[in-house]
Amino acid sequence: MSLLEVQDLSVVYEPSDAPVTHAVRDVSFTLERGEFVGLVGESGSGKSTLGFALTRLSKPPARISSGRILFDGADVAALEDEELRAQRRGGFAMVLQSGMNALNPVRTVGHHFDDVFAAHGHVPRERRAARARELVEKVELAPTVLGRYPGELSGGMRQRVSIALALALEPQLMVFDEPTTALDVLVQHAVMGTIRELQASEGFTALLISHDLGVVLESTSRVMVMHEGVVVEDAPSRDVLRDPQDDYTKMLLSHYGDPRAEVVELPGLAARGGELVTSSGTAAERSARGSGGSPGAGRRATAPVVVEGVSKVYPPPRRGAAPVTALDDVSMRLEPGQSLALVGASGSGKSTLAQLITGVVRPTAGTVSVGDVRVDRLRRRGLRELRRDVQMVFQDPYAALNPLHTVEYTLTRPVVNYTGRSRREARARVLELLDTVGLTPVEQFAAKLPHQLSGGQRQRVVIARALASDPQIIVADEPVSMLDVSLRAGVLALLEDLRAQHGVSMLYITHDLLSARVVTDHILVLHDGRVVERGETSQVLRFPQDPYTVELLDAVPQPSRAEGAA
Amino acid sequence: MRYFLRRLGLFALTAWAAITLNFLLPRLMPGSPADAAIARLSQNGPVDAATRAAVEAQLGVPTGSVLSQYWDYLGNVVTLDFGVSYTFFPSTVASLVGSALPFTLVLVGLVTVAAFVIGTLVGVLAAWRRGTRLDALPTLTGSFLAAFPYFWTALLLLFFLGYTFRLFPTSGAYSPYTTPGLNGPFLADAVAHAVLPAVTILLTSLGGWILGMRNAMIGTLGEDYVTFAEANGLRSRTVALRYAARNAILPNLTGFGLALGGVVGGSLLVEQVFAYPGVGYLLYNAVTNQDYPLMQALFLMITLSVLVANFVVDTLYGILDPRTRR
Repeated sequence: MSLLEVQDLSVVYEPSDAPVTHAVRDVSFTLERGEFVGLVGESGSGKSTLGFALTRLSKPPARISSGRILFDGADVAALEDEELRAQRRGGFAMVLQSGMNALNPVRTVGHHFDDVFAAHGHVPRERRAARARELVEKVELAPTVLGRYPGELSGGMRQRVSIALALALEPQLMVFDEPTTALDVLVQHAVMGTIRELQASEGFTALLISHDLGVVLESTSRVMVMHEGVVVEDAPSRDVLRDPQDDYTKMLLSHYGDPRAEVVELPGLAARGGELVTSSGTAAERSARGSGGSPGAGRRATAPVVVEGVSKVYPPPRRGAAPVTALDDVSMRLEPGQSLALVGASGSGKSTLAQLITGVVRPTAGTVSVGDVRVDRLRRRGLRELRRDVQMVFQDPYAALNPLHTVEYTLTRPVVNYTGRSRREARARVLELLDTVGLTPVEQFAAKLPHQLSGGQRQRVVIARALASDPQIIVADEPVSMLDVSLRAGVLALLEDLRAQHGVSMLYITHDLLSARVVTDHILVLHDGRVVERGETSQVLRFPQDPYTVELLDAVPQPSRAEGAA
Repeated sequence: MRYFLRRLGLFALTAWAAITLNFLLPRLMPGSPADAAIARLSQNGPVDAATRAAVEAQLGVPTGSVLSQYWDYLGNVVTLDFGVSYTFFPSTVASLVGSALPFTLVLVGLVTVAAFVIGTLVGVLAAWRRGTRLDALPTLTGSFLAAFPYFWTALLLLFFLGYTFRLFPTSGAYSPYTTPGLNGPFLADAVAHAVLPAVTILLTSLGGWILGMRNAMIGTLGEDYVTFAEANGLRSRTVALRYAARNAILPNLTGFGLALGGVVGGSLLVEQVFAYPGVGYLLYNAVTNQDYPLMQALFLMITLSVLVANFVVDTLYGILDPRTRR
């Protein structure tokens, strides 16, 4: 008998004030004992809804409208509350998406284990402390974490603690819902490694829910691909990689590549050597290029960005601690019209460097200049002038737009402030900007509010806003990391197009080496505030010299590695 | 530990600042109590020098430098010597406040704490069972009662329970035929007198606590740690109390601190309606009779009680939320 059998399962959302959505439609599959299966889909595909339904954590307005879930032969839906609670030990456990917030901030890690043991009584009282130590050691943490509060642990450590807590239940089935999404690349790589080892050593059945086909293919032996509530593909990982059947799977796969390869191609984007050419791509990207020649859209950059010997030291976070050195003697140069990648894990100082260049933060030592302007010496008025030339594109398109203002309002403000156009001219310019970023029909998009747009469309609005002042330099801080894979290429192509067509210089900050490879000419690898490697992007990524660069490259999810794993 | 020492230091500093301000403010005001009294007298005709001297001798005119006055004042504060009341001459301010304070502290203090505890518990229950009758009933009645003005509730209770049904005494803190002290008849009588004012304060403040706790808890119920606790099969009581409520109560503690601080000064209306001889009643009398020594002492006490309440709540916060300790 299979451990889990799902028959024609449908889940609907029935909010009282909005139309019903069918999140999961007629899904059927089985999980055999000891299997490690992946469930992949983009946002809104219903994968998390399915995960919550399987572990009976669905809450209103979500409702299982039809179908059955048989766990170990018994219908999960038929369990009484107390039966359900009891079988959470030795039954199914779940590790949540944002492991960062899965722990109660006012209780120590040790208390969390005590609560679990007390709830199920499966570990004798005198064994509990020892068992908790054993469990945290299994997830490669020191036993001292038991005395600490969640706020004192890093994101990766917290996610490891929640995995250990789930393990404390001795489950037969573990559902991992995006266990590493909020984590830094290197940490993500390490945590996934731990999950794989635990699955092998403890022998539980695992379902790994993720938006990242690369991560899933690397770890699992079988993959289910979900799209709009339907499982469109269910096959062994190796087969999915070699011979995907569904078009959607093919599309997802096409967005993966090895940044170390000689030639890297993504749909709509291709890079050869150091030179970049854009091939025919998505519709949005084509429309972006079609309007590329429109007058007034951007100025050719003439001013280089020069950073020399810059250090930034922050005062100690609390008394007695050492000051934090975010950047240590960094120099770099961004030539007009060039694109430069700034890569590194979180805490490497890449965002601090961006803040120095945009004049948000002043360096402790060294100089920052844009053309003839010394950014590190600017005062209010000068900074305003600087922002006409240097604009930011932010990481989180959901937080970067004021939810109360229409797209038109958001874009009109900088146009009026920076270019001194009249209202009517400004409106024409706003429509032109929307056309440039491929949001057509422009009239319709201008009237929309942020919540009516998808993540990718919002990011295009953010880019349009950055373009509103006709900047020479765009600083893009992880512009695609929050977007679904299928949307990333379009946004990247747009950024690349702005540079190629309009001659805007671009500083591209990312941890994603693959995207750095396809949109930048030069690269700077930062580690603990120091530049560890620099050069032409293709050269550095193909023949990395520094061990840290190698480590970053190894952390890039590689579907092709699944061949070895499977 | 360092957190608490730091809080204590901060408390001492603000207390000193409050005491000093209490000394300075009256001296910054133009005129003096004697001037005011003379001005009143002069409406009836010219005031001769002898009368002026008599008034000044009676009310006292500051002598010596400001510094030496300040030093004397500090000494008086420490020995609780606030002078003699004008209105209730020859009672000292200290004895007046001393007899009013226990009634207010017991009545308003206990009721405020009780309202917070009951309101919080009901709020927890309402949020845990949200959408059911257990949620709707307390939430609706709570907001309904909270919308009533203080004195209106007081008058209604007074009219129905006090006059119509004669269940409870209508004014005062105890009957004249009992002897104040720790004896059975007096305590029973004092409790009977306290019922109506207590119920008034409870009814009007309960709704706020219920709603505040319910809304905060609905917020924490959506947090990942609550979902994860459920996924780990913890008992629902553990999840509700140690995970959801424990975090939801934190913002409400600040409100509780303010309410506690207001205990001494904030019961004016209720004490007035029920002629309850507490601090609020005393303050009202002091203000209407321009009894400066009494007012000054009461203001100082109100300020200090707000500071003490804040210190208590800060300490509680430090114990309940490890994040504030850093």
